[in-house]
Amino acid sequence: MYIVDTCGLKCPAPLIATKRALKDENAGDIFQVVADSSTSFGNISRFLKDNNVNFTWEESEGKWILTISKSGSVMVTSEATEYCSKEIPHMNKGEFIIAFTSDKMGDGDADLGHILIGNFIRAIKDLDVLPSKMVFYNKGVALGRSDSDIAGDLRVLEQMGVDLLFCATCVNHYSLQDKINTGRMSNMFEIAQTMASASNVIKP
Amino acid sequence: MKIDLLRMVENGGCSSKIPPQMLEEILLSMPLPNDPNILVDIDTHDDAGVYKVNEDLALVFTTDFFPPVCSDPYEFGQIAAANSISDIYAMGGKPVIALNIMMFPAAKLPMEAYSDILRGGADKAAEAGLRIIGGHTIDDFPPKYGLAVIGYVHPERIITNSGAREGDVLILTKPLGMGIILAGQRLKIASDSDIAEAKRLMKLLNRTGAEVMNQYRVKGATDVTGFGLAGHALKMAKASNVSIEIDMNKVPLIGDTFMLADEGCIPGACFRNLVFVENNSLLRMNLNYNLKMIAMDAQTSGGLLMSVKPEIANIVVGKLHEAGLDRSSIIGKVTSRQEKYLYLYF
Repeated sequence: MYIVDTCGLKCPAPLIATKRALKDENAGDIFQVVADSSTSFGNISRFLKDNNVNFTWEESEGKWILTISKSGSVMVTSEATEYCSKEIPHMNKGEFIIAFTSDKMGDGDADLGHILIGNFIRAIKDLDVLPSKMVFYNKGVALGRSDSDIAGDLRVLEQMGVDLLFCATCVNHYSLQDKINTGRMSNMFEIAQTMASASNVIKP
Repeated sequence: MKIDLLRMVENGGCSSKIPPQMLEEILLSMPLPNDPNILVDIDTHDDAGVYKVNEDLALVFTTDFFPPVCSDPYEFGQIAAANSISDIYAMGGKPVIALNIMMFPAAKLPMEAYSDILRGGADKAAEAGLRIIGGHTIDDFPPKYGLAVIGYVHPERIITNSGAREGDVLILTKPLGMGIILAGQRLKIASDSDIAEAKRLMKLLNRTGAEVMNQYRVKGATDVTGFGLAGHALKMAKASNVSIEIDMNKVPLIGDTFMLADEGCIPGACFRNLVFVENNSLLRMNLNYNLKMIAMDAQTSGGLLMSVKPEIANIVVGKLHEAGLDRSSIIGKVTSRQEKYLYLYF
């Protein structure tokens, strides 16, 4: 069996050696790692557990032997090179912004307008390029209501890194202070600055 | 022969701290002195203690010392001093006087190293406008160095861990990755440029960041050191009784930190901090494993983590960039107290 001997190596070298073997085809499906410190053993086993890698271990005479099985493990081995750029772009964010001025999309039937704007917001996360920011003013702030069916979609966009700006004056005007818990409150100066510096402003 | 301090240590810098969980348990059992002039003590897990002298003046008092994080004694002195002084800046204070704290193996190192370490500390203190007025040395191996520093602060202008408020935005002034890069340096897998950048950042005083905080009347901040970004953010959330959300996608990193973490270059301190953070509530939301461990990475002389009003966040970041802290970024926000204290996601 392929054996990775980490005895004498200082942390985090044993973990590096383990991870290399996980990626190395020559190590085969099952390989062993030998560690001579409880810290190294603890860190390696924690790493394996966190990454859903199957292993067993035994201790004898101050040495820990981990038997690691690659098959059946569902470790996500992201290639380091994907993340090598300085900015670590996990997603593409564009220079454009989206301005929501109403809680409906287009003129016509109000119910239809509301359904459309919901569908629009849901579609944003699947765009090839995400907006850098989304601003909400006048009746548009109502889209941020936590009890609306759109709240979850806005939350996802926020988690994907889209900055959501709500006009504080508008939120106060419609008495929605306690209803909005996504995004952040903003003022007209920041909204004006955001729109002026964007390459494109989309108004649905 | 060229002196190489790194050959003497396994863990350097703030990686050498006691496991945070163990420390917390011990400190809980210690009686706290009861004195109305004590404005800040360990109760809120702050960076320094604050003692009120009169209505216009309070003293900020802190100490910090650690084993070498680099080979060159002069650079080590600079870094250790910058790290010690940082706690004063994190509390909104102005450093005034300090004492050297030194442990030095006289039989194992030439005395030239001793004077170089002190000279590095003295030069960094001078840059901060701080006067070193004494100190204490004992013979010990491996060497350790740092300062005990006293600063001035107006009692109403103290910046603490407990000053984060719901709706605030979090700004970090230095990129993460010092612990990972230093471990990579010992294993000779970190690039020279990343090591140079990490050293530059560790030597960089948090003075300019503190000046910006003072200008914009920031109330809540801490400096990110041995407990990692996640550990210090958790302490801030607890002290302020709020929850903190950090978007790891927005956290600036030094050079190839992510790649090193991906190769498995994850120092033991990360695992220690992970245990502390997860026991005190952390929710993973599909967080990339490497980014999670980077959030646990122990920083030496790390940046300021400040909690600012959202209206001024962009202006503050602009000012920080102008002041030379050009990687300063908005990395998260403060919410009302949720089920967990700390949420990491990207």
